[in-house]
Amino acid sequence: MERLLITGISGGQGRLVAKRVAREYTISGVDSTRWEGHARDVTFHQADLRSKKVEDIFRRERPTAVVHLGLLRHNFDPELRHDVNVVGTKRLLEYCAAYGVSKLVILSSSYVYGALAESPYYMDEDTALNVSRHYPEIRDLGEVDTLATTFLWRYPAIATAILRPVSTLGYYVHSSIGAYLKLRYVPTVFGFNPMMQFIHEEDVAEAIALALETNARGVFNLVGPGAVPLKVAIRETGGTAVPLLEGVARDVVSRLFRYGLYPFPADAIDFAKYPCTIDGRRFHEATGFKPLFTLEETLRSVRR
Amino acid sequence: MAKSGSDSKKTPRNGGPAVPRRRRTTAGVARSERLAASERAAREGSLAEPHEPEVPNLVNWTMDTLAGLAAGTFDGVAPRTLRELEEEVRQKVAQAPMELNSFGYDPWGFNTDVARRTLVVMALMYRYYFRARTYGIENMPEGRVLVIANHAGQIAIDAAMIGTATVLEGNPPRIVRGMGEYWLPTLPLLNVLMVRVGSVVGTPKNAVDLLNHGEAVIAFPEGVRGMNKSFSERYKLKEFGLGFMRLALQTSTPILPVAVIGSEEQAPSFGNFKPLARLLGMPAFPLVITPVPFPVRYHIYFGEPMEFRGNPNDEDQVIEAKVEQVKARIRSMCETGLRQRKSVFF
Repeated sequence: MERLLITGISGGQGRLVAKRVAREYTISGVDSTRWEGHARDVTFHQADLRSKKVEDIFRRERPTAVVHLGLLRHNFDPELRHDVNVVGTKRLLEYCAAYGVSKLVILSSSYVYGALAESPYYMDEDTALNVSRHYPEIRDLGEVDTLATTFLWRYPAIATAILRPVSTLGYYVHSSIGAYLKLRYVPTVFGFNPMMQFIHEEDVAEAIALALETNARGVFNLVGPGAVPLKVAIRETGGTAVPLLEGVARDVVSRLFRYGLYPFPADAIDFAKYPCTIDGRRFHEATGFKPLFTLEETLRSVRR
Repeated sequence: MAKSGSDSKKTPRNGGPAVPRRRRTTAGVARSERLAASERAAREGSLAEPHEPEVPNLVNWTMDTLAGLAAGTFDGVAPRTLRELEEEVRQKVAQAPMELNSFGYDPWGFNTDVARRTLVVMALMYRYYFRARTYGIENMPEGRVLVIANHAGQIAIDAAMIGTATVLEGNPPRIVRGMGEYWLPTLPLLNVLMVRVGSVVGTPKNAVDLLNHGEAVIAFPEGVRGMNKSFSERYKLKEFGLGFMRLALQTSTPILPVAVIGSEEQAPSFGNFKPLARLLGMPAFPLVITPVPFPVRYHIYFGEPMEFRGNPNDEDQVIEAKVEQVKARIRSMCETGLRQRKSVFF
């Protein structure tokens, strides 16, 4: 059986992927936080992706497939997350090239396209990664994506799939959007109600498994069952939308973020104003992926 | 790729997936129930309870009115014409081909409930304020089509009137999808309304997607140049942008030329106050002589569809030649319309 290394395996998405591909691969996982009570057939290593210990794992275990989920996705400290994500990914890609990995799946994000007033709906994979223009706090996502894309073209023999999923919701995954929708009173921007796409965490795991199975190579948008306005999503997940005037919202949010009381920087507000919707046809054509969960089920998975 | 209007994949609203609809607590329904009761009484003779005559009740009437308004209908308060108009719009919207998800939204954010309510207001303006007359609506082809019209009148009432005409007069009714200015998405509330009634930001990508989806997309190649021109330049077509022709060639979409007569006189302007426009971030600030558009009569001429073939990425010169054909057609339609018009207001 092939050996698969999953980074960020202790996170919700990592556990789901490990469970989904358990029968096809011998799995080892690496994460900086412990995974208490992990499955017995998973070899778990506690390590920071930036540390030399990770190279030892590659040297000893020789994984042929790697799933890279080990990114800090929401964190109070933009500098730390930039360091962890960019340096960690860079090192990991070096090991993949050096130790004969034949397939690699990297979970990027649809947020790399950014939410801009003038962005079109349903952007395809060739759209520019505009997130850093108005939202520098998560520019590391764009940089990780660019690192991965460069890797994809530099090593044609390695089946590298870069997945850019839309807002992921689910019981296990701690996504920013999930945290936002789980708030009792959800701050929104007065007069704005953008269309938003959602995907269920198990559909993301399924897509990763499919990408491994089909040796998909390329950059792929990953979309779920469809799009609804933000306020419909808030209603369906059991929250109450609290529209704030934009000036007030920016001021309040930036203060709360600075003091560590609210998990999103003020620039994240653009995602509550403008749509950032993507076109997932390329991945469907490459792998035959179709979401198994409906919009209702996806939204209900984070219902209070 | 092209989906025709009667394609089975496109589900009309009434036959589609269960979209939650508001319960109608309306005087109209209550009246018909009472009518049924009286018919029953007539058939069953004296054994049935006697039919009570309808007593005007201010409390009931007020509650019906409030409930109706809350549900987005005009039952109770409104005169019969308004209620009929509302019902007509409801039926027309239900007949229009569209593809909604289980929450009642299409992929671009269009929503029938919001569109229907907006259309009632538009229909009032169309029928009773601008008393629009539409000619040649049968030229509207099924499936994808690019509606190209002249633009005038300082605010885009011409777009709203064309959109209302295709719903009220079209067979089948069509929702035309507008291509908004790039600054519209930044305006609170307006951006949501724009999207809910079927418009999107006018990026080429959005237009291509909508056309490939089989929609009717409307574009004004004159843009703000045409909309904000002064009264002395009325019905003189400004320079046409080339983008629409490239889109039509790329998606092999027929072009439906439309001439709007009346829009030029609705809000005459004698200039453009550029510094203020810059200050407000608007494309132009026209100096109009009236805060409310005049009740001019609208005449909307739908011409015969024009088909073009060629390379969408050709040189500007080649594209310009094709654009000129469309412009010439709209110009001649405008001239015919102006010649046939007896009066600006009647």
